[in-house]
Amino acid sequence: MEKMRPVASLNQIPPGERKIIDYKGIEIGLFNIDGEIHAILNRCPHMGAPLCQGKLQNEIESETPGRYLTRYQTVLRCPWHKWEFRLIDGSCITSPDTRVKVFETQIKNGEIYLRI
Amino acid sequence: MNKIDCDVHVRWSSTVEISRYLDEPWKSRMERGYISYAHNGYPNPDGSYKLDSIPPGKRSAGTDPAYTASDLLDRYEIEKAILIGESSHLAISNLANADWAAALASAYNQWFIDRWFQADARFYGSMMVATQDPGLAAEEIRAKGRNPRFVQVILGSGSRLPYGNRFFRPIHEAAEETGLPIAIHPFTDGAGIANPPTSVGYPSYYIEFHTLAINSLQAHIVSMICEGVFELFPNLKLVIVEGGIGWLMPLLWRLEKNWKGLRTEIPWVKRSPIEIAAERIRLTTQPLDEPADKRHLKQMIEMLPSDEMLMFSSDYPHWDFDNPEKVFRDFNEDFRQKVFYDNAAKLYNL
Repeated sequence: MEKMRPVASLNQIPPGERKIIDYKGIEIGLFNIDGEIHAILNRCPHMGAPLCQGKLQNEIESETPGRYLTRYQTVLRCPWHKWEFRLIDGSCITSPDTRVKVFETQIKNGEIYLRI
Repeated sequence: MNKIDCDVHVRWSSTVEISRYLDEPWKSRMERGYISYAHNGYPNPDGSYKLDSIPPGKRSAGTDPAYTASDLLDRYEIEKAILIGESSHLAISNLANADWAAALASAYNQWFIDRWFQADARFYGSMMVATQDPGLAAEEIRAKGRNPRFVQVILGSGSRLPYGNRFFRPIHEAAEETGLPIAIHPFTDGAGIANPPTSVGYPSYYIEFHTLAINSLQAHIVSMICEGVFELFPNLKLVIVEGGIGWLMPLLWRLEKNWKGLRTEIPWVKRSPIEIAAERIRLTTQPLDEPADKRHLKQMIEMLPSDEMLMFSSDYPHWDFDNPEKVFRDFNEDFRQKVFYDNAAKLYNL
């Protein structure tokens, strides 16, 4: 049954850092983005890469050829094939049907809780 | 299931690794920073490697034999790997100076023997030649091509003539004589003195360059068939590396149809192009097409005229790596055995 469970201390993951935890065999990446913790499954749905080893970048968009717009939304790039997943909901930018599981997070008394 | 991976990329970590194999004047020049490979204008905007293939503390992947062995061969039950230099290395055939290119190719091959063959018995290699002077290339093939760990002669796709042209006859002859297939690897198009990457010129973006890399592969295949290379050299095989597979049959159907009406222009081609391709051409599988409906991949493969044409490749350590545990999972065991092992074992006598 899913419920909020403590998985790590907040002071282990300063802003800009990440930590990959193993919760009963499920690997989950915890990312501290400007003080907010995001939790996402460490497995790319494409070919099974360790997704949370990938690079973070701001989402890039454009309204016309030759112009790049950078949004503040954070995107996790797969370390193998560079697919892009939004940290906020696990959605894949290029494939609306593809999504990586993300977990609800909460911080209480310096502890990070996940709904899992 | 044991596997043979037919496209694993390696590189030198610094030019010092290569310059020690060069004679003068090249050795001093290389140490002074003389150009060691021709570049094209299409860098991958996000880097070329899958990130976990870069050994800890290193900047580049594919430079450390022990790491490649553990991260790829041990991890995925790969019994043998066919190593290939980076496409930037293959672009030595696009350097302007033919003598420098030939010297560099020869040094590179010796480096391969010392650095990679001695490191692990599972490593096999692709010997490189510089195509600017096919006579010198043939000398190199005869000099080192009988090393049993070299299993093919590899050419970059970037060229000023398609590879069936009689200009390259000395390379065809030497490959036949030494029993080595000729392999062609894409992504040197547009480098150095090579022609532009497409017949309409230079695209703007890496994604275009990468997608269109099959253009030159197609040109080389049609050339090798129509120029009668496979008629002249009855044992010669052609391996198309890192081009994927989905585009092959439409090309061959078109060529076959044309041959039926235009055969008199090339009467030395005695058999149908599809029959020749089935017997002589092999494809490594990566980057494998990923149609949304998985049945379409099976259908494309069923269209091939032979079940000996495909050989698994991962393209490790590159960003578009095909995971051996993920590709062809829905195919039957007989097919998987052929693609993951038997077809390469037969071609390369492994």
